[in-house]
Amino acid sequence: MNLLVKLAFRNIFRQRRRSLLTALSIGGGYLLCTLSFSLIEGSYNNLVNLFTLTKTGHVQIHKDDYLDRPKLHKAIDDYADIGKQLNNMQQVKSFTYRIFAPALAYSDEGNHPAQVIGIDLTRERATTLIADKVASGQYINNKADSDGYFQAMIGIGVAESLEVGLGDDLILISQGADGSIANDIFRVGAIIGSRDSGDGANVYLPLNAAQTFLALEGRVHEIVLTLDNYDEAEAFAATLRSTISNLTFSNLTISPWQEVEVDFYKSMESDKRGNAVALVIILFIVFIGVLNTVLMSVLERTREFGVLKAIGSRPIIILSLVTIETTLLATLSVVAALFLTVPIIYWLTHAGFELSEPIDVGGIMFSAYRGEMSWYVFGVPVLLLIFFAFIISIPPGIRAARILPSQAMSSF
Amino acid sequence: MQRMTLVRGLLISSLLLTTPIIADNNLDNKPDVIQIIDDMEALYRGDSSKAAITMIVETPQYQREMKMTSSAIGDEQSFIRVLSPKKDRGIATLKLDDEMWNYFPKINKVIKVPPSMMMGSWMGSDFTNDDLVKQTMLTEDYDLTLNETETEYTVTLVPKELTVTVWGKIEYVVNRAAMVPLEQNFYDDRGDLIRTLTFSELKQFGNVRLPSRLEMTPLNKAGHKTTVIYDELIFEPDDVDPAVFTLRNLKSRF
Repeated sequence: MNLLVKLAFRNIFRQRRRSLLTALSIGGGYLLCTLSFSLIEGSYNNLVNLFTLTKTGHVQIHKDDYLDRPKLHKAIDDYADIGKQLNNMQQVKSFTYRIFAPALAYSDEGNHPAQVIGIDLTRERATTLIADKVASGQYINNKADSDGYFQAMIGIGVAESLEVGLGDDLILISQGADGSIANDIFRVGAIIGSRDSGDGANVYLPLNAAQTFLALEGRVHEIVLTLDNYDEAEAFAATLRSTISNLTFSNLTISPWQEVEVDFYKSMESDKRGNAVALVIILFIVFIGVLNTVLMSVLERTREFGVLKAIGSRPIIILSLVTIETTLLATLSVVAALFLTVPIIYWLTHAGFELSEPIDVGGIMFSAYRGEMSWYVFGVPVLLLIFFAFIISIPPGIRAARILPSQAMSSF
Repeated sequence: MQRMTLVRGLLISSLLLTTPIIADNNLDNKPDVIQIIDDMEALYRGDSSKAAITMIVETPQYQREMKMTSSAIGDEQSFIRVLSPKKDRGIATLKLDDEMWNYFPKINKVIKVPPSMMMGSWMGSDFTNDDLVKQTMLTEDYDLTLNETETEYTVTLVPKELTVTVWGKIEYVVNRAAMVPLEQNFYDDRGDLIRTLTFSELKQFGNVRLPSRLEMTPLNKAGHKTTVIYDELIFEPDDVDPAVFTLRNLKSRF
């Protein structure tokens, strides 16, 4: 075996030009693979990250089936206690509270339907990217001004249709949780989002103001928490379910973002499947290239294998020689290509391609194609290429092993 | 020949004339069903009235008690002002003929109740805006049939073909002795009972004795109930001013 490896090494370096060509084909294939992996993973991760960090967080807690059938009165009463529990969990990066209610927004110019979202201003800011969405004005605070009005951050849709700007009054009418008619005036403190961002009807209020407005004092509809990475969500949700069920909190439903935004998740998954098809095609082209060079080199060495057979090499030895040679060559070229690929992927991850026209995906702007750098991106193509080099070297190897010395000698 | 015609003509016209008289005589034995309903509808109204009302809204999630005052002239004009809870103090409803407005003092805004919201809840209760406005006149827009027992009249109201209403049938039960309503049952087009309004706790208001407690129970919403209690009811008070029933008064500070 040792001898075979030695022989294989020698063979590789004996015909440098031929080996270099094969190596280039494998290395090029590796580069292509890694680039596609990096881009596909990168854009997926960027999107999911952006999405979870602007909207859903990674895991959400609701009362009962609030997620599917939101009702004003399905609120969490003991949210401060749950918060204490979450504070003690190392995996939880941050968390925040929200309440929701549909409302009608009025100004002198008319009315517009609005989605009232009461947010814990400090926590929300630490948990999601809401502060980045402030298009004009200042991120609001939770204090009433000298006239007794609380501030609101309103989506651009509400602002434009009601013709209200910063500092103007905004009237909100909704239904309170006690059946009363919630009605109050708020001051526009900031305008949120862009025309395409899909949150144009949102009206953000400080949590305390929203609780009073909707007669939901001491209660929230949703607890949103973020983890270090979005892919920990499902596992963490499972852990949290078992932890919380041991506690006395009643009827809480814990959902990872995949359940919160099922449609988004599904479209991302089908997108991923589409990308997988593209990947398979790319891999196929790479392997055809490698197969071709390996086949050529075996064909080129027909006489050599004939001599080997003539001096008594067993077919299995020749087969092993060809496969070891190819696998070794593949390994060497992949490692060499790796050094070349790292800077390219590094650039792709940090600079990426800026899109001239940002794409709106589910209400978030996707402005640049960025790659991803991870063990997965580099490692999987390495293993794939070495494995496939081994596999495709078998048919040429068998061909070489079957050569009849007499024919081989007389070929050329 | 001519005389014959004249005689015959006289005969026929006298027959025609007497027919309604005969029918009227028949009705005289039976109580006038239209009169019963009109009387019932006018009971709480008089020509003009003032009332102090407590309304209790119960749902599985919350219970809320509101106190309010109301003034009315006939069935065309009424005005309701919420006194408590503090949060809702000053909220007012004005009804003029078929139209209705709500006023919210906190936002200083009058909002007209659009026709599409007529079946919507009034102040979060189980009464609809339409119950207050009563756009449909029971005796004009419904066909009435009467059933009598020893103690009760039961009037079944079925909407006429052109009547716009959500009800397929209304059953109106009246106490014969006191001539006060006992119960109203509202059915939908399929004949399912949707809600029941019961009248209880007879109380003397001036020289009239009326049920002071009205309970509206929607049967399609488990655990929901709205109780209206008349704490005070004054008929023909001296101080009902027509200026009360104006949009200007609706917006006045209170």
